[in-house]
Amino acid sequence: MKKLVSAPALFLGAGAFLIIGVVLAFWYSPIDASSMGFSQKIFYYHAPIAETALVAFGISFVAAIAYLRTQNLKWDRLSVVCVRLGLLFSILVMATGMIWGKAAWDSWWDWEPRLTTFLLVCFLYAAYFVLRSVVDEEQRRATYAAVFAIIAFIDVPITFFATRFLPAGMHPAVITSGGTGMPGSMFLSFFLSMIGMTLLLVALIRRDLQIETLKDRVSDLKTALGG
Amino acid sequence: MTVAEGAKYVAAAYAIIMAVLIIYYFMSARRVAALQRDMQLLEDEAKRLQASAAGTAAE
Repeated sequence: MKKLVSAPALFLGAGAFLIIGVVLAFWYSPIDASSMGFSQKIFYYHAPIAETALVAFGISFVAAIAYLRTQNLKWDRLSVVCVRLGLLFSILVMATGMIWGKAAWDSWWDWEPRLTTFLLVCFLYAAYFVLRSVVDEEQRRATYAAVFAIIAFIDVPITFFATRFLPAGMHPAVITSGGTGMPGSMFLSFFLSMIGMTLLLVALIRRDLQIETLKDRVSDLKTALGG
Repeated sequence: MTVAEGAKYVAAAYAIIMAVLIIYYFMSARRVAALQRDMQLLEDEAKRLQASAAGTAAE
């Protein structure tokens, strides 16, 4: 099937949005008036990475269900690629969040709802790869991994809604049904970074899927050649 | 916290994000190139073996 947008175009688009977003964040969006001050600038990449990590886990959840319904390994490949990227983005969120916490509240870590549930997400999806590594047979590995991905996803909406239902932590609920909670100049930078990070996720998913497909084909060829 | 103090933390956060994403981009690109090369070599080998087997059968 012919793809609508080429991979280089996706990466270029992601890069352009991310660069414009960060340039506006520093030269157009005002410095936050609260105690966070200049350190609030971390938000413009930190929040989009967090949202895209959760989106990646969401795609993995859907792909896991699709695999269990069809037993088609292409869904397993999509699921594993999304978990890998979601975990990478989650680690970035944790790292930048700790730096931000230290700058704004003089604390590297706090056991508040959002941080704790996000840490749990990281551990759960790290365990996903441990599970995959201990099962040799392909179909069985894919089935176990799909079931695990579905169970692990339970923590994702809990993480997302933690700041809304349990507001006793550092994290404010930025976007609510009542509005964005920030001035337009801040929202523009955030929105552009969000588009950039989403495009980057799509581009990386496509490339990683290509890697997984190539690995399978190389493995098949080696088997066919008796190696 | 002054802007200068905050800037150190902001710079560290953006540096980590940029570094990780750029390294991942180039590593995945290299992986694609390496796998494509491996596949090409294996396909060539498969064709060579097929041709050789066909030649033996013809004799």
